[in-house]
Amino acid sequence: MFNMKVGNSTIQPTKIICLGRNYLDHIQETNAPIPTEPVFFAKTLNTLITNNDPIIYPKLLYENPNYNRVDHEVELAFIIFQPCKNISAVNAYDYIRGYTIFLDITARKMQISDRNIKLPWYRSKNFDTFAPIGPEIVSCHEIEDPHNLTIQLKVNGELRQFSNTKHMLFKIPEILEYLSRFITLKAGDIVATGTPSGVSPIKPGDFIEASIEKIGTIEHEVILESD
Amino acid sequence: MKIGDHTINPTKIICVGTNYMDHIEETKMDIPKEPVLFPKTRNCLILDNESIIYPKLLYNNRRYNRVDYEVELAFIIKDKCKHVAFDDAYNYILGYTVFNDITARKMQVKDIVSKLPWFRSKSFDSFAPIGPIIKEVDEIKDPHNLNIELKVNGEIKQSSNTKHLLFKVPELLAYISKFFTMEAGDIIATGTPSGIGPIKPGDLIEATIEKIGTLKNNVILEGE
Repeated sequence: MFNMKVGNSTIQPTKIICLGRNYLDHIQETNAPIPTEPVFFAKTLNTLITNNDPIIYPKLLYENPNYNRVDHEVELAFIIFQPCKNISAVNAYDYIRGYTIFLDITARKMQISDRNIKLPWYRSKNFDTFAPIGPEIVSCHEIEDPHNLTIQLKVNGELRQFSNTKHMLFKIPEILEYLSRFITLKAGDIVATGTPSGVSPIKPGDFIEASIEKIGTIEHEVILESD
Repeated sequence: MKIGDHTINPTKIICVGTNYMDHIEETKMDIPKEPVLFPKTRNCLILDNESIIYPKLLYNNRRYNRVDYEVELAFIIKDKCKHVAFDDAYNYILGYTVFNDITARKMQVKDIVSKLPWFRSKSFDSFAPIGPIIKEVDEIKDPHNLNIELKVNGEIKQSSNTKHLLFKVPELLAYISKFFTMEAGDIIATGTPSGIGPIKPGDLIEATIEKIGTLKNNVILEGE
């Protein structure tokens, strides 16, 4: 199994599912249509790092003018507590272990160029270190309402994303009901719920701080991939 | 996960799309300049003789009620690797197996047209049969000269040869490992030849690659 220590918890994720287009303000800034059902995609486990690990900016992006833009996207993530398939929204919280902060790092120019020629979104989202997570997993019982938390991200101390999880289009119980109709989720699996507006580029040397109320802050510096 | 005599612990499954010229022509896709990659998640994996479950939410929806087989040659990673050189690729491969990339075709086409991810149509539970064995690298001198075929209820639907792969195994590993660190047990499926078509509950699917063997899976409707 793939073991990972997040704060005081150890999880064994088998997959990472991310929602796209789940905050209205982010949908508007990317000129995407408003989805009628959740849009989801997978990240692979090679992307995961924890609080204070560096985000590695891949050389093959940095050195290519067609691809040299990498963005931050701060998201609320929830961790699955027990296996679930075809569950209903009213029972959703029984299947959730807790919440954490997730950064969906994205090679933006590569994503747009792939999407425009109708290719999968995969490679632009899945470089090593493109999914920082942490600093803790805060248990479900400690956060009464996950849909009323301020969420923000700073680059070098400057505020870039600032919103509240109440602006999520699809809320956690509907997300889990919907996902579990498609796939069996396992204990430790990670579901990231989408990012608000304010996505912007990062570069080597930057210092990223992502915070969600009642969970904490993750801090990551960005370094260029070495030879 | 036990495949024949080997036990593997995959952390990811990476599939290559549009990698046989004949399949590119039948799906009217552009010829890719570099490999097209997408993931499947671990909930997809089943073994030889296990059932492919046809999801009710596809079966009962006329916009989505087409699910296709796609037989593919897959290779399994032997050791953790990143930035593998083309000439060194086989040193990082444990062996080869048969892989069936089951795909909810109508859902995939609709998502592609809307520029959405390819994920959900490819990753229902049981949508990645694999096996029956892993044939080690030393036992197959040339993985690019193997007959590959798929039968539904005894009738041949796909028949080709791995020599028609656009991007070959060493190129694929060199390319993929530029992006992602690969771990021991990870699965890379190399794409499917022409002849893709639908399956339905009750069908028996037999996917065969020369020198590896035959992967057999029946199709059942979810909940039955």
